[in-house]
Amino acid sequence: MFKLPQDATKTMLAVHGWSGVLLGLLLYAVICTGVAAVFATEIDDWASPMSRGDTVAFGPGLDNALRHLAGAVDSQFHEEVAIWRGAGGRVNMLFHRHEIGPDGKSTERGVEFELDPATWEVLDRREGWYEDIEAQRTPSGIAAFLVDLHVRLHIPEPYGLIVTGVLGLAMMVAAVTGLVIHRHLLKDLFTLRVGRDPVLRRRDLHVVAGSWNLPFAFILAFTGSFFSFATTVGLPMVAAVKFDGDQEAVIETLYGTARAEDTRSASSAAIVPMLADVRARSGAEPNFVSVEHFGRADSTATIFTVLPRDRLVYTSHLYDGVTGEYLRERPPLGNEASLGAALVGLMYPLHFGHFAGTASKAVWVALGFAGAYVTFTGMLLWTRRRAEQPGWRAMTRAVYCVGYGLPLALVVAPYAFFVLRGHDIPPGTSQGVVFLAVVAIAAVATVGVASLDRLRSAFLAATGVALLGLPLVRMITGGPGWSEAWQAGIGTVLALDVALLVAGTACIGFSRAGVMPVATVPHAGPGGTPRVDSKASLQ
Amino acid sequence: MVSAERASDGRSAPRTRLWLRGLLAGPLALLTACLLMAGAALWLPPGPAQINNLVLPIVLFPLLWATLFLYACLERRLGRAYAVIGALAAVNGIVLMV
Repeated sequence: MFKLPQDATKTMLAVHGWSGVLLGLLLYAVICTGVAAVFATEIDDWASPMSRGDTVAFGPGLDNALRHLAGAVDSQFHEEVAIWRGAGGRVNMLFHRHEIGPDGKSTERGVEFELDPATWEVLDRREGWYEDIEAQRTPSGIAAFLVDLHVRLHIPEPYGLIVTGVLGLAMMVAAVTGLVIHRHLLKDLFTLRVGRDPVLRRRDLHVVAGSWNLPFAFILAFTGSFFSFATTVGLPMVAAVKFDGDQEAVIETLYGTARAEDTRSASSAAIVPMLADVRARSGAEPNFVSVEHFGRADSTATIFTVLPRDRLVYTSHLYDGVTGEYLRERPPLGNEASLGAALVGLMYPLHFGHFAGTASKAVWVALGFAGAYVTFTGMLLWTRRRAEQPGWRAMTRAVYCVGYGLPLALVVAPYAFFVLRGHDIPPGTSQGVVFLAVVAIAAVATVGVASLDRLRSAFLAATGVALLGLPLVRMITGGPGWSEAWQAGIGTVLALDVALLVAGTACIGFSRAGVMPVATVPHAGPGGTPRVDSKASLQ
Repeated sequence: MVSAERASDGRSAPRTRLWLRGLLAGPLALLTACLLMAGAALWLPPGPAQINNLVLPIVLFPLLWATLFLYACLERRLGRAYAVIGALAAVNGIVLMV
């Protein structure tokens, strides 16, 4: 298909391999956590369900709760009120103001309430800097841990975002070079030499999965790089060039000023009728409300919804916060439609896969899983081809450690969330400690075990057992049983429990399945002496 | 890249050329992409919403770098690759300084 000169093809093949193998282990971690994070909302609802599954988050009573709680916080935090659907349908209400944080960067400070949407009882109250409030959000702890690992690998800002941005660039290069090195793309899409040389079969599996996954990999890499670099590199550079370094001024220009400033006091309009109006206008359910200058004459309310069925780019609806009058529909950026706003708006559905609800999310998970498989098998193919060299043999072990140990650590970490939920330890900390402990154990096991095949089987079996145990530990630590969940209409709990049981059973099945011998693979024995493991597997 | 270096002219040592190409494809391409992004904020038309010049360079930054990276890898004449990428960097650098 692509008729590059032979030396150019070789160059592309080298770039493809090195871009994958140098950053592949981290990229694999980002992809794996990204696959799970696609269902972050569902994971939250599964881990921390409310007593009823059909609760409408923004139902009647919202305005009373808003006024009541506004009176309970310092009026400086009326600068902006953010209201959104939290884990299990809880309503989160954050009264805050924008300030320069202790680290000299722009952030928010305020008070957040977590409310029961049926009774409007305050379930929890958190206050402080935004980062502290976020760390205390226990109900969404599991998904937050996964998302943070995916977005910044738990590396402090801005370095974590820069690292994941570079990983995105590497993935993009791997996808582009993976495309152009095909001489016969259509043929490669369907070539699977089953039953021949096992090494050829592994290579074919990598090529077939990678070829089908190429457009998706490119989209994910591109959008992921954008999200990582936009705030860490792009915004500061544009601010330096156009606004003398004032990032707040850039943000104000991008998002537009809703109304002229008027600091006089005024009673606020009800939010619930605005929500009904948005439902009628968009046909979609609101999921986020932002009230600016609550209780002031220049107050506005901006309401966001899930993506309507006929759209790929989200918009929001702007209302007068005093009279409740509908002002206009707002694009993602600026006050009127533009190419830049449309492209930024497209980044979200393309990266998160939520444009067609659960169906598109499931497709994104499947394609993401294929991406993880391609990354993993690509690294194995590369290292095994160089298995005669001690350095690459060590790398093969590292690939096994991360390839099978990381999923195990990700599955075991939520145990800490469930067991320590009632304690003062933030969920991110407890899960982080357990995650690192499992990774350390996996690393020690990888160094100590002679047979990589046994290691693979052990990791897969352990992951399977951990998956099977998650529904049980969820129930033991106070979560609803299946009968209770069924009667309350909490479908997410049942669906995820079944998915975990199926995944756990599959892992155990894979761990017990016979492994097709591949070409003899030497690995370092005691004292660094190369030995032969005839049953090492690429599965 | 090694094979490409072997295939290209043999006036300088392949290893030196490999490092020079790596330098161009990696840090220099990244620097040029950054300069392009910053410079484009000044020379791109802002559009009706007055934000295109701010947003488009940020959105396209990953593509800019990837394009420069692949060009630096594939251009057989290393000198020309340096000239093209250097010119892009210089033009945008001048736009930023003026």
